[in-house]
Amino acid sequence: MSTHGVHNAFGTFIRSTTTYSQPLRKSRRPSLARPCIPQYFHSATRLAVVKPYLLADIGEGITECQIIQWFVQPGARVAQFDKICEVQSDKAAVEITSRFDGIIKKLHYEADDMARVGKPLVDIDIQSEISPEDEALINTSKGSKEEEKAVPAAGDHKTKTTAAETTAAEIVEDNIVQSIVPRPSGKHASLATPAVRHLTKQHNIDILDISGTGKDGRVLKEDVQNHMSNHPSSTTTASTPSEPLGQDKPIPFTPVQRKMYETMTRSLSIPHFLYSDLVDFTSLSTVRRALNSHPATQTEERPQKLSALPFIIKAVSLSLNAYPSLNAHLDTTSDKPQFIHKASHNIGFAVDTPSGLLVPVIRSVQSHSITSLAAEINRLSALARSNKLAASDFTGATFTVSNIGSIGGLTVAPVIVGPQVAILGVGKARVVPAFAADGSVVRKEEGVFSWSADHRVVDGATVARCAEMVRGYLERVERMMVKMR
Amino acid sequence: MRSRACRARACNCWFPRTNQALLRHNSSWAEKVSNPQSQIQTYISKSRDPYVNLSIEHFLFQKTPPGSKILFLYTNRPCIVIGRNQNPWLEVNLGLLQPHDTHNASPSEPPALGTVDLVRRRSGGGTVFHDEGNVNWSVICDFADFTRDKHAEMVVRCLRSLGIERARVNERHDIVLDQGIDKQQVEGSDTHSTAYTSTNAASRPLKVSGSAYKLSRNRALHHGTALLQSPNLQIIPHYLHSPAKSYITAKGVESVSSPVSNIGLDNASFEDAVHAGFISTYGSGMERREVVDDDLLGIAEIRKGFDELKSLDWTFTQTPQFVFSSQPMGTMDFDLSANGKFSMNIRHGIIQDCEWTFSDKKTSAKELITLLSEQLAHRKLHEIGDWAASLKAEDLDPKLSELLAFLNRTLPQPA
Repeated sequence: MSTHGVHNAFGTFIRSTTTYSQPLRKSRRPSLARPCIPQYFHSATRLAVVKPYLLADIGEGITECQIIQWFVQPGARVAQFDKICEVQSDKAAVEITSRFDGIIKKLHYEADDMARVGKPLVDIDIQSEISPEDEALINTSKGSKEEEKAVPAAGDHKTKTTAAETTAAEIVEDNIVQSIVPRPSGKHASLATPAVRHLTKQHNIDILDISGTGKDGRVLKEDVQNHMSNHPSSTTTASTPSEPLGQDKPIPFTPVQRKMYETMTRSLSIPHFLYSDLVDFTSLSTVRRALNSHPATQTEERPQKLSALPFIIKAVSLSLNAYPSLNAHLDTTSDKPQFIHKASHNIGFAVDTPSGLLVPVIRSVQSHSITSLAAEINRLSALARSNKLAASDFTGATFTVSNIGSIGGLTVAPVIVGPQVAILGVGKARVVPAFAADGSVVRKEEGVFSWSADHRVVDGATVARCAEMVRGYLERVERMMVKMR
Repeated sequence: MRSRACRARACNCWFPRTNQALLRHNSSWAEKVSNPQSQIQTYISKSRDPYVNLSIEHFLFQKTPPGSKILFLYTNRPCIVIGRNQNPWLEVNLGLLQPHDTHNASPSEPPALGTVDLVRRRSGGGTVFHDEGNVNWSVICDFADFTRDKHAEMVVRCLRSLGIERARVNERHDIVLDQGIDKQQVEGSDTHSTAYTSTNAASRPLKVSGSAYKLSRNRALHHGTALLQSPNLQIIPHYLHSPAKSYITAKGVESVSSPVSNIGLDNASFEDAVHAGFISTYGSGMERREVVDDDLLGIAEIRKGFDELKSLDWTFTQTPQFVFSSQPMGTMDFDLSANGKFSMNIRHGIIQDCEWTFSDKKTSAKELITLLSEQLAHRKLHEIGDWAASLKAEDLDPKLSELLAFLNRTLPQPA
């Protein structure tokens, strides 16, 4: 076995792979007990067509990985489950295997390149059946999405027809092709792949008009294009009625959006109930203004203006001391659901950042004073906005407060983030007229507090009482003071 | 004729072993490994040879049947193990591996460990130092059942059962010991946090185990180290800091270095605890572990894997493409500023081309660079010993000798 590289015709080195895993698969080794060519006994016809084979998702949200080595070269024959290449992503070395039988036509990357998940990895001339699930791995055309939806529906239709077929290779292909598309209209039931038929539909060409140059008289994409260039008149009638002003733009999920999608999908299983009430912010605003203007709180190094949020979070924490069932985790992963009252109040608060919604967690709020809470909120918000939060800053929340009121809103129905059991949404504080005890009209600032709780473990009365307690603390701030440790 | 009593603990054949019997024993072992009935298999290796242990592990990965769960425990003599796609010149101080080579030794050399092997494993990840105080654990299961944290969590539970309550799994799927001083209230069964988790930057957690994975279509291998009682913690950084580090620009995975610590258990207790944890999680709790040794090299596939891992080509030429430059981009001039900028492009461990440019236009290194190109191009980097000796030149230009001294210091011969 050669251990040195080999000069090819261009004088450049090819890495010799003969020393390592598998030899370059230019020819089948006769000693392998594996059928070389899919048998023609099989009733479905081989769709011998070259398609790009996409790099499948290897999990963990990884979007690209490095090619370590190729096990195949263009021209090599692969069988289903043969290794195509090995890729490396962070700590994992992953073997990528082929889902189809066929011949490799083109490698889209060289060794050491970064391959992108969801993009073509190799082009493969597929010589086996393509099942509906496998359609997702091959990029057919712009119409591929519709076909993916249509194909599962037609899946059982296909198996019925294939069962009835006989063995000869020159099987009536229009039957098979028909079975893949759920609309076996006579007009398009001709010799072509779904991609080509979509192209003809798009340009309003009768496929029977086109002479196919592919195998067994198949119509290929090039034939359609040639036909279009030769018969431009037929395409003018096919112009789409009015061009939309913009194009539909598929937006890929950012990691933050993906996390939100997954978390909120899980939250769908929680039966939410909403409890809302009005909180009078007038006295709190007065206290805040006094504190913010007083020189004692504005030190040289850390001038910080206290917003309402640290007060709200502290009030919630004090109330959670009395109602610990709202500061709990419900673990439904095993058969026996576990409801655990958490000792520490780790309160997450929502931050709107350029990369989306982030919820950093303030740990042990019960041990914080209002000023230290304010400092912590500022610190975490700054980190969140500059995208510098560590993963540990997001974990372990036992309750969440979402101050959507800093942007706007009255009543909201916030969504609980599992395994927590409750969440508080705070609306915008508005100035409204109100009646004082003597009947005169006074100025009042009020905002809506919207509580959502998991009705599997929390009842309305508990939430109502806790909400009343929070309201009490915020409307009379001195009540909080006497509870401070 | 080699005559030896059968040492496998689970094997009851206490008769002198001939080569014939050894062959039969090995082939029956191989059959047992791939038997679909063998759903829970646990092994522990007596061999200290890293090449043997990794080859046995790879054989188990490839041959065990679908649905089976395998645990393999092994300990290696002092060696450095780099990941599948890493660059040994970047990760390892190659000059320290063969300490009898006094040419490169300086007076401040750390105490000699003797020969330290350099091994490239088949799973991904970074570079680790193994010695007799480090036990490696390896779990093989179906890809469908696999998550990156699952078996690290299992090992953390085993550690906690031995009283190591500071152990937890971190975000990188490694096992760390929290260093916080205050004890907080946490959920006891949460393997991702401990009572000592501290966000204080001064008390960063110390890493005691690193993980790496190898995934195929239907099977997944997760293996990790466990620093139990290594006497070499102080000198490990010397081995893992390469003099060429700042001069190499590379594709491929770089190691993420972390401060390490010993767990402080003895090997046997850890092995027993992990074995017990494994069989109670997946089995009936009654399975005994089988001892394996290097006589498994009699199995052809293991032997073939062993030879491959030991070969210098595997170790060095599987390196992704990199550029070695005396003046990497974005840096100030190094000591070679008077001697211009020298760079080499290395692919598949072979020098493809090199170039030497000077900032002042007057100096020309044309003859020197032609000499270098002719002599160095297409040579395997790991085969070049003393750089001066490898160049056939009558008298060395002072610029050239300084360059060669620099190359000797940063790219010493590994073996």
